[in-house]
Amino acid sequence: MPSAPVAAAIAPPADIPAAPAAWRGRLRAVAMPLGFFLLLLGFWEAYVRITGIPAVILPGPLTIGRTLGEIYPILLQHAVPTTLEAAGGFLISCVVGVAIAVLLCYSKLWREAVYPNLVLIQVIPKIALAPLFVLWFGLGSESRLAFSVFISIFPVIISTYAGLTHVDPNLLRLCRTFRAREWQVFLSVRLPSALPFMFSGMKVAVTLAIIGVVIGEFITSQRGLGYLIVNTSARADTPVALAAVAMLCAAGLLLYGIVAFLQSLVNERYGREPIR
Amino acid sequence: MPDAGGIGAAIAAERIAKRYATASGAVEALSSISFGCAPGEFVSLLGPSGCGKSTLLMIIAGLEPATAGTASVRGEPVTAPRTDVGVVFQDPTLLPWRSTLDNVLLPIEMMRLDRARYRDRAVALLEEVGLGAFLAKRPHELSGGMRQRVAICRALVHDPDILLMDEPFSALDAITRDQMNALLLDLLTRHAKTVLFVTHSIREAVMLSDRVLVMGRRPGRIVATEAVPFPRPRAQELEDDPGFVALVRRLRRAIEGTQDA
Repeated sequence: MPSAPVAAAIAPPADIPAAPAAWRGRLRAVAMPLGFFLLLLGFWEAYVRITGIPAVILPGPLTIGRTLGEIYPILLQHAVPTTLEAAGGFLISCVVGVAIAVLLCYSKLWREAVYPNLVLIQVIPKIALAPLFVLWFGLGSESRLAFSVFISIFPVIISTYAGLTHVDPNLLRLCRTFRAREWQVFLSVRLPSALPFMFSGMKVAVTLAIIGVVIGEFITSQRGLGYLIVNTSARADTPVALAAVAMLCAAGLLLYGIVAFLQSLVNERYGREPIR
Repeated sequence: MPDAGGIGAAIAAERIAKRYATASGAVEALSSISFGCAPGEFVSLLGPSGCGKSTLLMIIAGLEPATAGTASVRGEPVTAPRTDVGVVFQDPTLLPWRSTLDNVLLPIEMMRLDRARYRDRAVALLEEVGLGAFLAKRPHELSGGMRQRVAICRALVHDPDILLMDEPFSALDAITRDQMNALLLDLLTRHAKTVLFVTHSIREAVMLSDRVLVMGRRPGRIVATEAVPFPRPRAQELEDDPGFVALVRRLRRAIEGTQDA
């Protein structure tokens, strides 16, 4: 019996991948939140003008925007160390956090002794320890990096560990039939299926990494956006302080955007449920 | 007593028993099961759900230990999965991020064989099952029947002598299932394998097998054995043959005889 007729008798799948979302839908997805944001700024500006509240207490968005334009080079100068230190703290968190999650996945001892403590540390208000990090790590970048790692590493550990352990048991059984070594199962099955979990943890971690650096700058630094905010607030230079906050938002969006973009690439390939 | 796998048997089960400890006491899932498969033979384990037929297959695959007795493959007791055995599960269990071809080559990678050497064989197998145009597609782009065809190619890619199939078509609709039966019959004419096939479909068992072992439950045991005398190649029309109908009826009675518990 030739195989071709048998094969030809089996119809191709009915579900053709969905067409890309229409451009109108994408435009809406950008226009709606942006419109709402502009509306809020409008209310803010109107409130400031109608009440005549002094700019030292609350400057309007237009005033902040003007300040932003005037002192842009200074803001950028302060934004660079903040962004770089946040990125550094985030990367250290990713590398160390993934390593700890792998240890948790493969070591019963770590799972039993270390994991419950990691969950417990999640609960304590870590910001309370920030001044001590200055005591321990000094006034330089080290203390800010260390604190940034300290508050951003936990989501990476927890989500990576969850991803590595929530693998479809049928896939693991399949690998056993091939007599696969554990490192092969790790590279070919566990790690790829954990990637979407890892990235959702990293998205949380990147924002925490920035917070960590800014808090560090509040306490010690002679530069950086956190330093600028504390310094100008103390001098009641509110427009500059808020311009620095706006700059911080931009830096945060940049880092977050990079991680979210990588996540979308990863999810496109690795984000599907195992095939049943 | 069925031929309990003498010397030269491809698969042999000798007094295999399986007991589970549960909260309400020990459950006897399998009780003293013995049978054998000659090389090249297609044997079906047919029975109602809960009779332990899949457990028996997993024991023979080396994926689960037996409580007592021995499973042997090609004369050697099974203590772990073997690379001369291919397994097809009920779910296709494909890696969703891999292409059709890369899924089929997964065993080659994991067995640390030369991927380049087996690539042509993988492509040829996929072409044989009508997936030649789908090599680069990912599993979510394939239909259920296509995914299971990929899983069958994956089980055959390293050319094992023995194929263990655990209800591979039970998740498919009736029409696709008939097509898959025809495809498997066709595939096996060119790739001679010893096959142990678990199913709860009587017609599927008769259509595919040289011999059907009927299992009963509580405890799981073999209650009847029927040889299937129809010559190969077999086609769908065989189902209209009076001999086929009579054999199906006989097997149904054998299964119903186990149901009164």
